[in-house]
Amino acid sequence: MSARALLPVATPARTLQVLRELLRPRRTRAAVAFAALVGGAAAGLLTAPLLGLIIDLVASGAGPDAVTWPAVGLVAVAVAQGLLAALGVAQTAQVGEEMLAQLRERLVDRALGLPLERIEAAGAGDLGSRVTEDVAQIGEAVREGVPALARYGLVIVLTFVGLAVLDWRFLPAAATAVPIQVLTTRWYLRRATPLYAEQRIAAGAQQQQLLDTTTGLATVRAFRLTDRHTEQVRDRSQRVVDLALRVVGLQNGFFGRLNLAELVGLSAVLTTGFLLVGSGAVSIGTASAAAIYFIGLFNPVNAVLFLLQAVQAAAASLTRIVGVADLPAHDEPDPVRALRPARVRAEGVAFAYGGGPEVLSGVDLDVPPGTRLAVVGPSGAGKTTLAKLVAGVHRPDRGGIRLDPPPPDDALRAAVALVTQEVHVFAGPLADDLRMARPDATEEQLRTALARVGALEWADALPDGLRTPVGSGGHPLTAVQAQQLALARLVLADPPVAILDEATAEAGSAGARTLEAAARQALAGRTALVVAHRLTQAADADAVLLLDGGKVVESGTHPELLAAGGPYAALWAAWADGR
Amino acid sequence: MTTTRDPARGGPVLAGSIRAFGRHVGLAALFLCGHQVGEALVPVLVGVVIDSALRTGDPAALLGWLAVLAADFAFLSVSYRLGARQAWIADVRADQRLRLLVTRRLLDPAGGAERGRLPGGLVTIATSDAKRVGLVNFALPLGLAAFAALVVAAVALLRISLPLGLLILLGTPPMLYLVHLFGRPLERRSEAEQERAAQAAGTAADLVAGIRVLKGLHAEPAAVRRYARSSSDALAATVRATRSQAWFSGTVLMVNGAFLALVALVGGRLAAAGEIDTGELVAAVGLAQFLVDPLRELGWVNARLAQARASARRIAELLGAEPAVRGGAAALPEHVDGAVRVRGLRHGSLTGLDLDVRPGELLGVVAADQADAVALLRCLAREEDPEHGAVLLDGVALADLPPELARSALLVAAHDADLFAGTVEENVAAAAPPGRDLAPALAAARADQVVEALPDGARTAVSEQGRSLSGGQRQRVALARALAADPPVLVLHDPTTAVDSVTEAEIATGLRAVRHDRTTIAVTSSPALLAVADRVVLVDGGRVVAEGEHARLLREHARYREVVRG
Repeated sequence: MSARALLPVATPARTLQVLRELLRPRRTRAAVAFAALVGGAAAGLLTAPLLGLIIDLVASGAGPDAVTWPAVGLVAVAVAQGLLAALGVAQTAQVGEEMLAQLRERLVDRALGLPLERIEAAGAGDLGSRVTEDVAQIGEAVREGVPALARYGLVIVLTFVGLAVLDWRFLPAAATAVPIQVLTTRWYLRRATPLYAEQRIAAGAQQQQLLDTTTGLATVRAFRLTDRHTEQVRDRSQRVVDLALRVVGLQNGFFGRLNLAELVGLSAVLTTGFLLVGSGAVSIGTASAAAIYFIGLFNPVNAVLFLLQAVQAAAASLTRIVGVADLPAHDEPDPVRALRPARVRAEGVAFAYGGGPEVLSGVDLDVPPGTRLAVVGPSGAGKTTLAKLVAGVHRPDRGGIRLDPPPPDDALRAAVALVTQEVHVFAGPLADDLRMARPDATEEQLRTALARVGALEWADALPDGLRTPVGSGGHPLTAVQAQQLALARLVLADPPVAILDEATAEAGSAGARTLEAAARQALAGRTALVVAHRLTQAADADAVLLLDGGKVVESGTHPELLAAGGPYAALWAAWADGR
Repeated sequence: MTTTRDPARGGPVLAGSIRAFGRHVGLAALFLCGHQVGEALVPVLVGVVIDSALRTGDPAALLGWLAVLAADFAFLSVSYRLGARQAWIADVRADQRLRLLVTRRLLDPAGGAERGRLPGGLVTIATSDAKRVGLVNFALPLGLAAFAALVVAAVALLRISLPLGLLILLGTPPMLYLVHLFGRPLERRSEAEQERAAQAAGTAADLVAGIRVLKGLHAEPAAVRRYARSSSDALAATVRATRSQAWFSGTVLMVNGAFLALVALVGGRLAAAGEIDTGELVAAVGLAQFLVDPLRELGWVNARLAQARASARRIAELLGAEPAVRGGAAALPEHVDGAVRVRGLRHGSLTGLDLDVRPGELLGVVAADQADAVALLRCLAREEDPEHGAVLLDGVALADLPPELARSALLVAAHDADLFAGTVEENVAAAAPPGRDLAPALAAARADQVVEALPDGARTAVSEQGRSLSGGQRQRVALARALAADPPVLVLHDPTTAVDSVTEAEIATGLRAVRHDRTTIAVTSSPALLAVADRVVLVDGGRVVAEGEHARLLREHARYREVVRG
């Protein structure tokens, strides 16, 4: 297999630029937030000198009433600190959350606009992990990291300022802790990021295993696979446990080293206070204030250093998100609805995947308005490729495909809908799944569409009717039901031209008939191309095209081809045998 | 007296989870208490240093007390490491234990635990709820330690000064209550916020997974709009929650600060009056600040306990769910001949179905109404026991057998059977006797073609319940799995619907050969399969209305012709 062509990752410079662009409309709010945080941190710093003042007043033998005013000052500090911190944190979080929301919406917009080939070349996991894990990573950082980081960071900076105001010689004393903290943080960052990534993967695997097992409970029981599945759940869950314990070990090492930094710094500050008090440079109250300042740094410093990891990981995620969000916006033409059916004409169409051998060559077809053409042939004949070309997913290398009348702006894609046998039921209420095809559909239109494909009866029988959650984690639907849903979406999308690529394959014999009837209903009044392996669909179509090896072998109506006694007649004989 | 459904009790689940790791919880509590004592001593020791060294200028006292401070740091650091480790072990293992209990109950052969719940909901119970109950094992030692810290601080304060100590001790509970009062609505709000955020993430992943469908219908703009809606919902919820979180933290800061001012005021006056010395004042102020953390911790523990109780109740409900089928204690002979008799079966839409299948026979069952087929299959699979009548295997009623024994002798391969994560080979071998050659089953199901077409052959990984394979590939692999299991009686439900007609005919021949002396029931309307059956029965209106060879029924029975030809 060739190397994966991963989706783009933005440079750090470009990422910063995007962040600035996102911040610009919110700069007033951001400035208010910053000012409030600075003010709050600064107010908090007055606590220690006020306590020091009380101690000094007591030591100097002032009367009990002398301590009243400093105490009132402490209350004022508390109120100011609380109000400003709340304001600052709330505003910071809001700015961050809004920026994130805008970014993730742009990401999903660009992601869904990517051509399928591009997504497939990158591997489905690449895009999936960007829209989920990377967004979650940044969300975590924005929610927990940024406000705390801003607040604690300011507290630390201002505390150092405060220490310097008390006496500059406390600064070098406090700084003795810094080398240990730097080394510890580097030690931690090197290990934490890969370990947390592993932890996320393990949690995802456990989730997937549980979903696998719970979705297939009946199968597990029928085949008596209970022990194996229990074992698998145990294994996945053991991995989660093992990693959690490794994380504890790492965090313990981190905090243990930081304890050492605290001890070293505190001892240095106390020793400095001892020397300064001894030389008469500072009062005992000032020395006490310095010690109280330093103890007050313990939690903010630990928190900031701990959060650096989340920030580092978020930065990496951010470059991956910006990489996709920065792609040019795609201008999707609005889907064409309810026009009169168009004639579909293809002339001399040839196509090869990425410079490989031609999978189609010289294909002509002509489907009159409102008629149904069945495309049949052995697997590998090029049926699906032809469907994709007509749907405008790929462009032919040679030849042309035209609609008559041409759709607005000649947008072939907008006028042609493609339903494949790959059914995906969107997670959420059934009605929301249907509205994907027509967002403004009324409940009545939804019901009509379901009724038209014969799905209304079971849809109404669902526990909560059309509001029942379906899709991943929701009420399980059978293959037939899922495919009926796909056809109901087609009815709602109401395109002038429709292509079904083996869209009725996923069903039981009885189900196949249900789906064939549903397909007939869904296609009524449209020009349609039906890729089919059940030849009843061919017999039922207005015309048949037999493909083999990328070329048209035979075409005509079903009776014509039977009468001709060619390859199609032989295929039919094999199919009809025993029926 | 009205009988309401006995509400499941979460208490025993919670208690059992704590007890199972009692030793770790106990050790964690012990070490974390040690840690808290060490932390509480830091401001006390700083006060001592200031008082006995800075005030006196005695370098020996400085060195001596700094050494004591170092010892305290060593003690608190080591205690924390040991305690945190034990608490985490107790937490994550309890989480795992509950997850496995839930999984075992879900997979119990008697079934019934999943009734009324969606797969996503079951996964939530096995993950989120288990995690919340497990977290109690972490929270409990932390709470005990916080309480111990309160006691130590109290003793220290009372030793410094009785009035000051009493002020702090009597003042903190109302403060704590206040904080609790503010915090309560917040807890719920932040949960709702997390749910919204998770929903937005889930929507994005789901849309990306369904991108082909979106592109086929040009629904990308609709999908983008849907995501934008979900994202801005999440944004609104998050902003609301973080805002109240911020004001909550701000309030806590204010309350704590005001309380500190009060302590400083009273302590300062006492010191000025000469009742306590300067060092004691520093220590008292430090302790008042220190108290904030254990108090906040207690609030946190309390909130976790409330959550855990709700989660434990959901787990208890699932664990105590009514089984779908009874156990049964009968046994089967060593060699099962595979004679299946259905007598007067009334279940669902069935209205008294009788059926005799001879050992080794290949029987086709055509149901005019799929509901009849489903009801019959559910009874055969023992997903449900019949309301009336019985299914007999070699003369023993299926309902009298333990469900897993019944399924070992009579395997129902459902039409929508799931494949599981693993390779194609592992899936096919899943239920096969150990060491069995899979080639005949693969060939009979024409899954050999599938294997050839896959990038890594039989070692190709299957993911997402088999959705990584095409419908036809999945169906053939599932059929190969059923054939490889080689049960005395195999019931197949519509096994060839997603394959082309040539392959279907080959599968019919292969099936006939590979099951030649084993009882096989094919519930299907596929002419290719019915043509190779020894005998076919037509079920209409809940009972058997015709039987005979496929060709003869096709010729002579109008209703049969109608059902099979469609």
